[in-house]
Order: sequence, then C-alpha cells, then structure tokens
Amino acid sequence: MKKLLAMLLALTMVLSMSVFALADGEVISDVEDTITILAPPIITDYTTHLQGWIEEFNKMYPNLHIEVTPSSWDDNVSRLSTLCLSGDAPDIANIECQTLGTYVDMGVAIDITDYMPEGRLEDYDESVLGYMTLDDTLYGLPLYVSIQAMGGNKAMLEAAGVDVEKVQTEGWTYEEFLEAIEKGTTDDCFGFVFANAGITTTDFVHIFGSVAGLSNDFTADLKYAYTSENMLNLLKAIEEIISSGYMPNYGVEAGTRLVMLETGECMITGKAMPLFESNVNTNNAGIADGTAVEGSVEVEYVFLPCPIMEGATETCYGMANAFLPLRNKNTTDEHLKNVMLFLDYICSGEPAAKTAGDCYLSAVCESGREAQASMTLDQSEGNAAAAARAVSLVVAPPSGVTGEQSGIANTIMDEIIVPKMQALIAGETTAQEMYDTICEEAFAQFGEENCETGFIS
Amino acid sequence: MAAKGLYSQHHHNPRMRLVRNLVLALILLSFAGVVLFPLVYMVSWSFGPNVKMSSSLYTVFPRKWTLDSYKAFFDFSPYSLRWLLNTFIMAAGTTVSNVIFASMAGYAFAKVRFPGNKFLFFLILVAMMIPYQVTQVPLYILLVNKFNMSNTYAALILPGCVTSYNIFLSKQFFSGIPTALIENAKVEGANQFRIFWSIILPMSKTVLAVMAINTFVGNWNTFFWPFLATTQDSMYTIQVALKTFKDASWTLLSPMMAGATISALPMFILFFTLQKYFLEGVTVGAVKG
Amino acid sequence: MEQQRTIRKRGKLRIREDHISGYLFIAVAMVVFLLFTIYPLISAVITSFQNYKPFGSTWVKLDNYETALSNKLFWKACRNTLVYTALTVPLSLVIAFIVALMILPFRRGTQSFFKSLYYIPAVASAVVTSMVWLWIYDSSDAGLFNQLLTFFHLPTQQWLTSSKTAMLSLVLMALLGGNGSSIIIYIAALMGIDNTYFEAAEVDGATFWQKVRYIVLPLCKPTTLFLFITGIINSFQVFINAYMMTGGGPDNNTTMIGLLIFNNAFKYGKYGLACAQAILLTILIAAMTAIQFKVAGSDVEY
Repeated sequence: MKKLLAMLLALTMVLSMSVFALADGEVISDVEDTITILAPPIITDYTTHLQGWIEEFNKMYPNLHIEVTPSSWDDNVSRLSTLCLSGDAPDIANIECQTLGTYVDMGVAIDITDYMPEGRLEDYDESVLGYMTLDDTLYGLPLYVSIQAMGGNKAMLEAAGVDVEKVQTEGWTYEEFLEAIEKGTTDDCFGFVFANAGITTTDFVHIFGSVAGLSNDFTADLKYAYTSENMLNLLKAIEEIISSGYMPNYGVEAGTRLVMLETGECMITGKAMPLFESNVNTNNAGIADGTAVEGSVEVEYVFLPCPIMEGATETCYGMANAFLPLRNKNTTDEHLKNVMLFLDYICSGEPAAKTAGDCYLSAVCESGREAQASMTLDQSEGNAAAAARAVSLVVAPPSGVTGEQSGIANTIMDEIIVPKMQALIAGETTAQEMYDTICEEAFAQFGEENCETGFIS
Repeated sequence: MAAKGLYSQHHHNPRMRLVRNLVLALILLSFAGVVLFPLVYMVSWSFGPNVKMSSSLYTVFPRKWTLDSYKAFFDFSPYSLRWLLNTFIMAAGTTVSNVIFASMAGYAFAKVRFPGNKFLFFLILVAMMIPYQVTQVPLYILLVNKFNMSNTYAALILPGCVTSYNIFLSKQFFSGIPTALIENAKVEGANQFRIFWSIILPMSKTVLAVMAINTFVGNWNTFFWPFLATTQDSMYTIQVALKTFKDASWTLLSPMMAGATISALPMFILFFTLQKYFLEGVTVGAVKG
Repeated sequence: MEQQRTIRKRGKLRIREDHISGYLFIAVAMVVFLLFTIYPLISAVITSFQNYKPFGSTWVKLDNYETALSNKLFWKACRNTLVYTALTVPLSLVIAFIVALMILPFRRGTQSFFKSLYYIPAVASAVVTSMVWLWIYDSSDAGLFNQLLTFFHLPTQQWLTSSKTAMLSLVLMALLGGNGSSIIIYIAALMGIDNTYFEAAEVDGATFWQKVRYIVLPLCKPTTLFLFITGIINSFQVFINAYMMTGGGPDNNTTMIGLLIFNNAFKYGKYGLACAQAILLTILIAAMTAIQFKVAGSDVEY
C-alpha cells in the first residue's frame, strides 16, 4: 500500500513537472526543499526584514522552506569557518569579499553560473561581480558595495578655504588636501584623524592607499601592488603628515575618531561612509536632550572623496558585501538551483534596495536601483552627489587573481603591512624601512617577477 | 578562628590593631577601586539613554539617567527572559555535574591507588593545554553532526560537564588531607565511597564552593560554544544574545550594558549564597611526611 | 606470624578494592574526557598532518609543521607569549597572595565584603572589559591614563600603539583585571591553616614575616602550584587581548601564538596549519608544566 502511494506520488510529481516544463519552457520543481541561511546583522533588524522577504518569496515558491540562523556581527566569520570546516556550512552565507579566497581554498565555494536562474545574472553590475570572482570563476552575488573614504566638518573645511561643493563633485589633489589640513590644524584641533589603531589599521591602508593610486592588492596585470613606487609615496606622505602634526602621532581607536569629529576636535576624519551623516545628525539632535557625546558641537557632516596624488588614477575604496552559496553534506545540483533562486531574490529588487539604502548606498543591481527610486534618504544633496561619484570610482579586483594569491596577500597584509604601519604611525620605523620589509616578504612569497616595482598610473 | 594567628592580635594595644586594620582596609579599597572600574562603567551606562550609538563614550557616567534601557532590553525580544533561563540551566547543570564528578575524580587521583592513576591524570593535564580554537571543529562535528544535538541543553552542558581545571583543583585540595585519616577509616571497614561521602566531602565545603562559583561564572560568561550550538533565538544564552545588540554600524550601548548588568545579577546572588562556605577553614596544603 | 599474613592478605584485598573504586570514581570524568577532550585532541593531531578540507583532505606529512616552524612570525609570537606569561603569571600570583593575606585579619563581615569586591569583576564579560580598557589606554588626551598623566604634568603615552608600552599595557591589564578567583582560592587555602602552627611560632617569638616565610608559604605550596600551572596554561593560550585591543601590533610586538592559531583556523581557513601550531603550543606548555612540577620539588604530595 505504502509503496503504491509513493509511486503514485512520484508519478504525479513527474507529471506535474513535465506540465510546467511544457507550459513555461522551463522546469519548475515543486519538490519540497529546505534552504539554510546564516545571516549576520548587516543592517539593523536584518533578520526581521528577511522574514518578510521570505514570506514574499514563498508566495512564488511555497515548496522552498527557508531556515534563518541569525548570527552576530563581530563573530560571524569564526562561526562560518567552523561550520564550513565541519562540512556543515549553511547553504547561504554572508561575507566581506576580500575573504572569498578562504572559502574557495577550503573547497566549499561554488561556481554559481550553472545554477543561476536563466537570464538573471545580467541584472547585476558587471563591474561589481568582479569582487566575487577568483580565477575567473563567479562564486556569489553582491548585496552592496560600501564606499569608504573620508568625512569632514563643513564649517571648518570652509574656514580652511576648501570649496566643499567642488571637492564633492570633482575630487581634489593631494596638495589641496595637505594645504587644507595644515590650515585646519590648531591647538585644539587636528586637521586629519584616521582610525588606525589595532584592527582598524587594515582599513587605513586600504582606504588611504587610494590616495597614491593603490586600488587593489593586485594590478590589472596581476602583479602584487604594495611593492610599487605608489606604496613608497603613500608611506612617505603618511610620515610627513604625522611629523608635521596635522594628524595624531599615535594610533587612534575607531570610536575616538567620530567623537573627535562630533566634538570639533578634528576637521577631516576617516574611515568615513555616507551613512555617518545619520550618525552625526543623531548626535546633533542629542545635544539638546543630553544623549549626545560629552562636549559635542553642532556639526554639518560632509562625505568627501580621498585626494589623489599626481600621476595616479583616482579610485574609491569599495568593500563588497556578498551572499555565497556554500557546499555541505546535502548539496546536490537540484538543491543548488533552489538555493540560487532565493539567493538571487534577496540580492536584487526590493530586498537589495532596502539593505543598501539603510547603509545610505545605492544598490548594485538594476532591479535594486529601480526599487530604490521610490525611496528617499535623509541625505544632503552634496553628500548624495559625492556618494554617487564615489560609487562610480570603485574598481573591483582584477579578474584572474587566484585563491592562493589572494590568501598570500591577506597574510602579508595582516602579518607585515599592518604591524609595520602601526610602527610607522608611532614613529618607530621609517617609510623606506617599512617599504623594504614589505618588498622582501612579497618577493619571497610571490617571486620578484610577480610584484610591481614601478609606478602604477 | 583558624589562621587568625598569622597576625599579631595586639592584645596589649587594641588601638595599634585598629590602625593596622584601617591601613589595610584603605589599601584594599583603593586597589579595589581600580579593579572594579569596568564594572562601574557597565552599571552606570546601563542607566543611559536607549539610543543607537556610533562611537564609544568616554565618560564614566551618562549625562541623563533613565531606566529606558532596561525596558528596551526586555522589549528587545520576546525571549529576553528565556535567555536568562537558558543561561541559568546551562551554568547550573555544568556546575552541579562538575561539583559531583570532578571532585570524585579529583579524590581518586589524589588518594586512591590504582594502576594508570598517574598516566590518566597526566592526560587530563595535557588535554587542558590544547587551545580551544582547534577543538571546536571536532566538537561541533561530534555533537551537532553526529549526535544531532543543536539547540538542546545537552549540547550546551555536555562539553563542560567535567573539566580538567576542576579535577586538578580538587585533586590539589584533597592531596592536603592527611592520608592517615583515610587509612584509619579503612581499618574500621569503610569503603572508598563511604569515606568520600562521610569524611572527605564534609571537610571540603570550601573547595566545592570555590569550584561551584568559578564554574558557574565561567559558564555564564562563555560565548563561543553556545554561539555555535544554538541556531534559534529561543535557545540563546545571554552572552550570545548580547552580541546581537551590535550591528555593522550601530551599537545599542545602554541596552547592552543593561543586559550585561542583569546577567551579572544571578552571579552576585550565587556568590553571596556561597559566601558562608568560603569562610570555613579546611585543612589544605599539607606537606608530605 | 599468622596475624601478619592476614594483615597482608587484607592489604592486598584492599588494594584491589581500591583499584575498582578508583576506576569507578573517575568513570564519568573519563567518559566525558574521551568524548569531548581526547577525541578532539586526536582529531587535531591527525589534522595537523593534513591539508584539511571538509570535502577531501590530503595527507601532507610534516608540511604544516615545517611551515609553522620556518615562519619568523611564529617564533616572534612564541617569544611574545613567553614574555607575557613570564610577567603576568608570577606577578598576578603575588598580587593575589598579598591581597588574600591583607583580607585575612578582618572580621567575618568585612572579609566577605572585600572578597566580594575583588571577585565581582570576574562577572563582567570580556566585551565590556575590553571596551573600558580601550578607553583607559586611548593614546589621545581623552584616554583615562593620559588624563591622569596630564593631571600630574607628565608627558602622555601611546599605551597600546607604541612598541615600548604595548606589551606592558596588556600585562598591566591582566594584572588588574583577572585575579578574583585566585584570591578566593588563596583565601580558602589560608583559612585552612591550623592555628596551632602560629601559636607555636608565637611562642618561639617569630615575626610576621617569619610566619609567612616558614608556615604560610610552604603550606600554600599545592595551591600555588595549581594556580601557577593553570595560570601558565591560560596565559599561553591567550589571544583575546591581542585580538580585541592591539590586532597584534605595533610591529607584531603583541602577536601571541593564540592569535596566529585563531587567524589560521577561523580567518584563513588553514585548519591543518592551525592544528600543527596548536600541537606545537601544547608541547611547549607541557614542557613548561613538567619543569614546574620538577622545580616545585618533591616535598609536595601530588
């Protein structure tokens, strides 16, 4: 009896499948399937929003059950690694793209091109897909690209003679920047403060690196970039800014830089995102009711591009956040197709619009931007323009970088560049010494012929 | 009272004793002030405003005192109280099983002669030296993949239910009990279980209390394993839940501190309940011979 | 003669009974150990010889060990960890011992009060503690220590961000932060010393220091040994301070082995290498512990 029933069921399934296939020219399976997703709080209340999107998604695909495991922001990477190493990776995980190599190396990342719903890949900005590509293989879909540069106190900048509007729409040169922070530095105020202590040093290298034309770990012809002349220029510039006293000669904690901006103790700060406009406005509002930072002054926040040195190409540092499908014990081809249906759903349209919008960013797919057109941000016109300009300046990593290369680059960053940069800031090493150390290590790891030693223009 | 004799009682000069004690108290208080500082920050900011913060706050006290954050903590999720209960069950379960089984093992390693005694104890010490980062993956494979135990109290309690640290601690204390005491009982016909139950345990309230409070606090504050073993917010422990108060760009500082303060309360209560045992002297630290 | 034989016989019986009860006493502990400690330990050893991948690991013989040992940073991290341990463990024992001694002469109520004061900080979570210490050590003028220095007209310091002070800052944080349970354990040991020892010493006219030196210290030796060994084990594995406070810098002066293992296991997915480093660390700790037991001498019964 049971057997008969099962056979009947199977028959109905096959029949209905072929009916659908005939109707749409596309196979839509209605086999029950469960998809797991590990979701860190990418934006406030992300899991709550996610539940809403799942309901919408289930109207289209009632047979696909989505199991959400909320995660925490700070420890998501350790949790994800443990799950992956145990062979129990979630079907979908969220990552910052520079860590992609780790999952490719572990053998849990999946080439999505074969499983992507027909015709959907075109929705995503091709330039951004580069972040999820290693070895010319596409491993995931982008959620947003966080543009990271500088922010400033508008009144102070204008007092220092900076044409803020012009900088926001056209960018500025390093000389103009240097002049501004020189004028902006007084007894109680630094012209420039960048969070660069402890673990934030990595951000400093990446973001301020764009000043010297360093947009990625590798050049377009796949040579390691931090051995170039640009790097030496960058290090010398940092040395000069610090020794001139325009920037603190000590490492600054992440929290401190915003406090300094909000209390008028610095003119320009980094790293800064467009979203900080909301943070600063909240603080301004708190001055009246006592919830603001002690000693706060009213600040009009302006989002600024990084200045650019002579001969270098202006870029903006972007950090892509993406969802990846991952391999676990249950992974089959059919399952992966279902996984990609949902993954594509939360990375595009309304969900993408909301997620990016909450970060004061525009979506990186066509459907997301369309959905965003109806949303309004509490953002000043100038900042919106500067943010849009920054987005257009973001350069994805060159295609063709292998997982191994990216792994070595990450290790050199963590074990050589970051610690040496901290020493440089503390005045314990010189730009030249630091540069030589990086070259020595990079030559040993990559081979000298794979390192760029000239100038990247 | 035991050990009082270390200090001169200054029987002939009570004022001298008073002065000495005052000086000691003053030193102890000022050092405690330094040690307690993070706690003061935690408690005072738990009365801060319930607003999202993007930057650290470099003052000891909030400018405006309110209870909003406590309310926010309980409103944050329907499971706020459940988190405390979960943590309590995990910490209490682990504590009880450690007090029973770790002390039994500690006693055996200290006072019972059996082949393999030394070797097994050595193994337990070595096990303590393995960094936790590399044991989490096999542990996860075992408990979650093989035993299918995620989101259960068993998964939270089992890995810590007898720890090397507690076996070592109790062994050190039991070593101090004169062997003659045990030999006498044996001659009178008592077996080892009887000896352990009616002679050893009553003498060891202090070490058991120390073990209990340390285990409880340790488990109450443990984060990474519960974070791996729970996937539903109804099964979170308080430490896992507190981490969700921070997202990519904001921190709910005051509700987080309110949660931390609330979560510290059960530990205070336990500490004060066990206080009286800390004051009972036991013979520990005997020298051979 | 006859009597002696019975005694010996009974003795043998006793010993066998002891064996059985000994195994029964440790049974639960050993089962737990096999499952949750020995199994992960063996698994880590096996993995250390592999290029570990969740689906399809390959055997690489001693490659992971070679990689670990030929890495300059690994040695620097070993050195840092040793320095950190050599400074924090003995000093925090001294602090705990002194505080415990100072609490001793008070009446019951006062004793409880002080014990609570010193134990309570243990309940604060690492997140809260490191947040506060980041403020204390902030290199700007807003840093708490720097405010203090400014108040006394001393030059401000770059606590965590200068090679000169970063390691010392982490040591100081450990010394001021985590002695609660050591103090409690020491007090328990002190309370257990029989008063007759002191009475006898009093009769001989011993001074306070003589009593500490010849009565208290020797009698606390098992406790000290316990705290010392567990202290060393914990301190060798420490990574959370470097992870949250300094990121290992500046110039890798606060990079601990624990941080390297953490990064390899959880950040770079090089789990095989992480296991190899963990095994090397375990061997190092085991060697240190063995030396400790030897140095502690034979007069303590284990």
